[in-house]
Amino acid sequence: MTPVLQVTNIRKQFGGLTAVDGVSFSVNEGEILGIIGPNGSGKSTLFNCVLGQLQPTEGEVRVDGELVTGLRPCDLNRLGVSRTFQLLQVFPQLSVRDNLILAGQEHKGSMGTRLLGARDAGLTEAANRMIEFFRLSHVADEKAGGLSYGQQKLLDAAMAFMAGPRLVLLDEPAGGVNLTMLSHLRERLQAINAEQNATFVVIEHNMEFVMALCDRIIVLAEGKVIAEGTPDAIRSNPEVIEAYLGH
Amino acid sequence: MAAFIQLFVSGLATGAIYALVAVGFMLLWQTSQTINFAQGEFVMIPAFFVLWAIKILGVGFWPAVGIAVLASLLILGLLFKRAIVDPMLKHGVLPLVISTIALSIFLKEAVKDFYSSQAQPFQAMIPSEDLHLFGAVISSQSIFILLIASAAVLGLNKLLNGTRLGRAMQATAQNPSVARILGIPVERMIMYTFLINALLVALASLMISPIYLAKFTNGDTLGLAAFIAAIVGGFNQVRGAIVGGLILGVIENLAAAYISAQYRGAIPLILLIVVILWRPQGLMGRAEERTV
Repeated sequence: MTPVLQVTNIRKQFGGLTAVDGVSFSVNEGEILGIIGPNGSGKSTLFNCVLGQLQPTEGEVRVDGELVTGLRPCDLNRLGVSRTFQLLQVFPQLSVRDNLILAGQEHKGSMGTRLLGARDAGLTEAANRMIEFFRLSHVADEKAGGLSYGQQKLLDAAMAFMAGPRLVLLDEPAGGVNLTMLSHLRERLQAINAEQNATFVVIEHNMEFVMALCDRIIVLAEGKVIAEGTPDAIRSNPEVIEAYLGH
Repeated sequence: MAAFIQLFVSGLATGAIYALVAVGFMLLWQTSQTINFAQGEFVMIPAFFVLWAIKILGVGFWPAVGIAVLASLLILGLLFKRAIVDPMLKHGVLPLVISTIALSIFLKEAVKDFYSSQAQPFQAMIPSEDLHLFGAVISSQSIFILLIASAAVLGLNKLLNGTRLGRAMQATAQNPSVARILGIPVERMIMYTFLINALLVALASLMISPIYLAKFTNGDTLGLAAFIAAIVGGFNQVRGAIVGGLILGVIENLAAAYISAQYRGAIPLILLIVVILWRPQGLMGRAEERTV
């Protein structure tokens, strides 16, 4: 079976600094892969290389076997790769529903279809389902900027699923979210993973969250993969403990 | 009372023109951080496109209007963005501001040198008649301006809030990086705002030139008025720019009649100072936000 995402020997240098040093991994369909590592271990750089926001110095990225290294984020989006953001990135002055419609829309077409086509591009129903699913119904018509931080995180996640993606990359989905909201978010992500058979890659600092959510975890330190395995195996891996706690 | 109504309505009409220019000014800022200090000259120029088309091409008034609108879209929209904004914006907002100031001087001098330094009579789009309303004499021009400006604002509102294109433009203003990731052609959306601005200034030019006469210095007052209207109303709101424009037009007119005509030019500046001291985000504005 071809993995949904295959990353081979990615290296990224900024001047003399090697932020990511020959990282390879693959993710199979329906799998939730976690990427953890101390601050500065190269997680975000790796993510940005995969997502086309940075050009890797070396290495290649394949989605469903197709070479996508260096494709622009919007082209990846069209191929069914979507993402959430570490720092909140919603459209603050649009309603929750409009944010979702915008995220699900094919942004193609001429001036004519943009002007005369249905305003919701036929997506209101899909947006409502997503609102229901992430339990945002009570704020569906509010401006996204007025939502609480946790609600905005949920919206951000919901937006990533609007286009029915093959692969979703979640950048610290739990960052700054309170405990109640956190278990809600985890449970919703697991449910949508089961329902859509979507494949996830998650960067996360919250160990408990990552251990509970992911099927498999890889650990980065100083730009290299130092461990890979199930959550239980990672928890007891002495190299991981050393990387996190130091000598 | 009759005099008051008369002054109020003609103030509203001038204010509606300020509002159109201020809305365009604000759209450029929201989507591309362009502060266009040549906006006043952008209003002055289309009238000269009309005069030029009549004089050089020998066409009638209405074909000349069509040519002027087209020329505005090409020169004040497309060419302005491609030749000045795109290359300068990379270097930051300040170099762009200086460039637009240079452009305003260039446009003024170009009109003076290549057309005329004298004020030129300019045909109104409808014949001027006086309407009697509650004893006040109101010019049909004022009513016409109010109608056209309202239609333009409603149309713009419909475009921004009622279409897919509008939502994509809003997304571009609020969060360009995510809009880009979602596949919204951000550059094209920004270009559309430049074209909309070109249309708005052309419309303003056609309506104000019969009143002020077409003169190369017209941009000085208009540009300042639009800038102040945008700030008074709130820089991040279309409706703020509209309210700011209307208030400015009315206050200017009433103050000229009831306080002093000599201080007419100072009134907008006083209004600006008061608003900045008392409510720096503008009457309708919210602190630190961007939307169209």
